[in-house]
Amino acid sequence: MNETEIATGERVTEGDLLVILRHSPHGSSWLREGLDTALVAAAFGQRVSLLFSGDGVLALLDGQQAGALGQKGTHGVIDMLAMYDIETLLVDAHALISRGLSTEDLLLPVSVVEGAALPKLLDQHRLVLNF
Amino acid sequence: MILHLLNRSPATAGTVDDALAAMGPDDRLLLIEDGVLGALPAQASLFTGLAGRLFALREDLAARGLLERCAEQANIVDVEGFVTLTEEADKTVSWF
Amino acid sequence: MRYALLVQGGPYSSQASHSALRFARAVVERGHRLDTVFFYHDGVYNAARLAAPPQDEPHLGDAWRMLHDEHGTELLVCIAAGLRRGLLDEREAARHGKAGHSLEPPFELTGLGQLVEAGLSHDRLITFSP
Repeated sequence: MNETEIATGERVTEGDLLVILRHSPHGSSWLREGLDTALVAAAFGQRVSLLFSGDGVLALLDGQQAGALGQKGTHGVIDMLAMYDIETLLVDAHALISRGLSTEDLLLPVSVVEGAALPKLLDQHRLVLNF
Repeated sequence: MILHLLNRSPATAGTVDDALAAMGPDDRLLLIEDGVLGALPAQASLFTGLAGRLFALREDLAARGLLERCAEQANIVDVEGFVTLTEEADKTVSWF
Repeated sequence: MRYALLVQGGPYSSQASHSALRFARAVVERGHRLDTVFFYHDGVYNAARLAAPPQDEPHLGDAWRMLHDEHGTELLVCIAAGLRRGLLDEREAARHGKAGHSLEPPFELTGLGQLVEAGLSHDRLITFSP
């Protein structure tokens, strides 16, 4: 993780690629395709940050399993993030609160982002991809 | 400055809230496809903080019969104006 | 400027492909270079070789091919998203023992790395999603 102090004292994450994940596991392929993009970018040596927002916060929820037909879901990919050196995991505070969740419900330690830190996060990455 | 693209009707999808929350003070918002429903006067209160930074794509308004029904706060641009907005922004982010 | 587009909407089921094509033409009209269009998610169906829309509707596949012929735009299709959805070029069709292929040049099956590369090496990447 690459962090710089900014004037207000907030910590802002910088990087090459910010992948924003806004869809839940199983319901569509957006989450898996977004995670795949992040893994590939990291494998190519780019500094990748993940922002879990909206229903995307469910990607980090404990206790997920394969679907009834054996659909793999994405929890296996979440376990691989560290192996790909993707260590910047950010979660939108509003998304957690509005779903009655807290960081204690999540599989991995994350940084919580809210308010003005959100636009700064987008600003500090060269490329932002929304999934 | 980032150009944000929104293609969802604010009347039916919360995507607009995600987009607005991610916008910085100089960022711009361009409504395209079903996003142009956001240019209707009934939706205007959503975008009061975006004076001069809210745009809507003319051909998507026209195709939906909405061109004459827009709120004044939306700057109407044609597809060439869309290209100009992408030139002027450092990057674009699409919300869907 | 050098532009790249990311198209994620299926043709005819969402407006995304039409919006992307309109924008693509406007970009080259302005004198910019449109080097790459990357098809991902259901956008990969834009490359379907056998698409046969009614004659009074825009033919998206032909329009993308024309963009390639006239402006050299590379038409890249994510191989992982394509194979899952039945979009195979001759080589992949043979490799998977399929009787026919469903994707042909100028569309190319390629890895997601090309999307990341296009996004980081071009001046602008514009995403059109369903």
